[in-house]
Amino acid sequence: MPPATNPKKSTAPKTAKKKVSKAAEDDEFEQWQKSRQLTKPKDQLELTDAELKEIIPRVLQSVNVQQPDNLVQYSFNLGEFVPAPSAGNAVLVFSQKGTFLHKESDDARKQLIAQGIDPLELGTAPSIALMLSPSQAPIIEVAPKENESEAEDEEEPEKSDEEGEGGGEVAQAATEVEEEQKAEAGPVPGKKIINQFNFCERAALTYTNPRMNRETQTIPPPKGSYSSNVLQWIIYDAYQHDYEEQQLEKERERERREQGKMTVSKPGMKKVAGKVQISEAVQGRVFECWKTLERMLNLNTFDYIAKDYRYWEDPADEFREEEGTLLPLWKFSYEKTKKNTVTDMVWNPHYYDLFAVCLGFLDFMKPIKGGAICLFTIKNPSFPDYICITEAAVMCIDIHKKYPYMLVVGLYDGNVMVYNIQATCKVPAFQSNSVTQKHSNIVWEVKWAPDLPDGEMNFYSVSSDGKVIHWILMQNEFAVTTIINLYLEKEPVRGPDGTLVKRKACASCVAFHPENPLIYLVGTEEGLIYKCSTAYSTSYLFTYNAHHMPVYRVDYNKLNSDIFASCSGDWRIKIWEDNRQEPLFVFDLGACVGDVKWAPYSSTVFGAVTSRGSAYVFDLNVNKYKPICVQAIVSKKKYKLTRIAFNNKLPVIICGDDKGCVTALKLSPNLRVPCKPPKKQQHLDQHTLQIMKLDRLLSLVREPTVLTAPPDPAGSTDS
Amino acid sequence: MAEGEIGGEKKETEKRIVHTYPLVRNSDMNEEMRTESVEIVVTACEKHSANNEMAARMIKEQMDKKFGPPFHVVVGEGFGFEITYECKSLLYMYFAGTLAICMWKA
Repeated sequence: MPPATNPKKSTAPKTAKKKVSKAAEDDEFEQWQKSRQLTKPKDQLELTDAELKEIIPRVLQSVNVQQPDNLVQYSFNLGEFVPAPSAGNAVLVFSQKGTFLHKESDDARKQLIAQGIDPLELGTAPSIALMLSPSQAPIIEVAPKENESEAEDEEEPEKSDEEGEGGGEVAQAATEVEEEQKAEAGPVPGKKIINQFNFCERAALTYTNPRMNRETQTIPPPKGSYSSNVLQWIIYDAYQHDYEEQQLEKERERERREQGKMTVSKPGMKKVAGKVQISEAVQGRVFECWKTLERMLNLNTFDYIAKDYRYWEDPADEFREEEGTLLPLWKFSYEKTKKNTVTDMVWNPHYYDLFAVCLGFLDFMKPIKGGAICLFTIKNPSFPDYICITEAAVMCIDIHKKYPYMLVVGLYDGNVMVYNIQATCKVPAFQSNSVTQKHSNIVWEVKWAPDLPDGEMNFYSVSSDGKVIHWILMQNEFAVTTIINLYLEKEPVRGPDGTLVKRKACASCVAFHPENPLIYLVGTEEGLIYKCSTAYSTSYLFTYNAHHMPVYRVDYNKLNSDIFASCSGDWRIKIWEDNRQEPLFVFDLGACVGDVKWAPYSSTVFGAVTSRGSAYVFDLNVNKYKPICVQAIVSKKKYKLTRIAFNNKLPVIICGDDKGCVTALKLSPNLRVPCKPPKKQQHLDQHTLQIMKLDRLLSLVREPTVLTAPPDPAGSTDS
Repeated sequence: MAEGEIGGEKKETEKRIVHTYPLVRNSDMNEEMRTESVEIVVTACEKHSANNEMAARMIKEQMDKKFGPPFHVVVGEGFGFEITYECKSLLYMYFAGTLAICMWKA
């Protein structure tokens, strides 16, 4: 059947399709059709249109046409062909025998009754009907067997037809069904089996932590905005402007420097540091004005003194021989130091009108706290030009010869300080360490020494602790060397713990040889004067048994360095020659002699002051036994004179007293007579004449007994 | 005419003498930082005198290294600017008479 119908079925859709396409006449469809190439089998019938249009009728019949209706069977029984019965129209494709029973069928009922179950009950509870226990399985099997036999009976004719194909299979299938039934019957009825469709889900959720949002913002860094334009001309202008300012600044700087130079070069016109509250520029200018004004006022106030100083030459001197006078001029004092004693005075080597005064105290029963250094100029007697206030009393001072602004001072507490008054008066430029490097007693005298080869400034100091110390000014501190310990040439005394203590002399003054910087003289409180050299630290070159009381001053003659004077508390002034045990001259002044100084202008003149308030001037050339001038400068009862100083250039001396006051005095013409050159030696200058004068005098004084053992001056200087 | 020429000549001579040093026009850096920055600028501009870009790059890199990024540097002969900068980081200066250098941090 199928092969016969197939060609018809294949042609039928084609024609139908064609009909549809023609009928619909859809363009799109046609286009789609066209794009497809229809492939035709090679052996396709080529039909004409008429043939294609021909409708082929289909007739369905209940009779299978192809089934033969005249089958015959040979019957051996009859000995002839007998027509075989027709197979009919039915075609058996597959058959299987089952073991199930309908529950309402009679067989089922029988079975149930056999099991002891009421079939009526079963109707109400149908699920139980399926319950089949294994023990009843044989009963169930009975029925299938019956069924089977029936089925086999039915199939038997088929077997003959289809060569007995299905028989085995059916039997097999039957056994399989049985097994399945057994398996299904196993589990407990009513309980569902757990599988992918039947399961229990159980879930748990952990605690979730609560979340929180938090925001913050830092402070943005400070910002600024700036805008500008850059053009060549702007740059040019800026440079031009800047350059002009620089020029201006340079100009100003130059002016300032010139001003500074001017003030330095003018003697005594230095600025005093201070008055910080006034601005620098104003201070400088106003201060100059004030200074000039002060000078003018002073000149007007002290006009008569200035005139005396300049023009007054005592006319009485012409009629007096061998006598002179001192004309009092100005008095210098400073309010704050009126209680202090003038302990030392020194003229400035560069500015001849300027002098420094040390204010300390000498009456050690009444100590005074604090001291000062005042620098006065005779142009302004009313107020000191520089004031350096110190914590301890100032006992001595020296001004550097090369640097007239460098002052070294020795203090009551054993310290030494160096002031640079050009820089500042307030703080010392150098100060000895008050713990490690200082004298253990009063510093009695300080002296600048010539600069070292490297240009370092240095000075010597003597103190009551019996030491001579050399100080070198380093970068900002002192380098200290002890030059000599002044041991007395006496038996050492026993100390409290049995040790032997060598006694020391208490140095009270020092004088350096003007020509040989190695040699110096030290006066002591024991009254001895030691001649020492800085090269030897243990031995003395010479010892003078000079005085019975402390030596207050030793001074070399300005013109002949073999001669020196000393004064002491034993009322005496002695004039010594180098390496001669005995003094050349002895003068008793009847009071404690505070100071003795040689005059710079004459080889034979020296001045002295005593505690009774008198100043003495001696001229050995005029009078070898008496002073040529004795004058009470201050009241005998109230004041004592402590120091004297000759001006290097002017005929003026200054005397300091114990009330902080300094008196300037003019030397009358008789006190400063120049040497008259002999008629034969007119060409000789004053210096040579002065030396000759002293030599002449000395030859008169030198005693022949001493000359029997003449000292060797070469040996002394060489050593 | 003559006067103008003389004036021009004068200016030229002055210009030749003066205008080579670094001139700080505006800066809010501290003293130490400014001197160092000026030094950096001088070195860079002298090294790359013909190439402003390279100079600017060099300055920027060095400033970043020394004072921390981000620095911005402008080197040029003519420009205008309006900037917002972090305080204490602005330097505006002239150099070599014709160059303007602006550097800032932002």
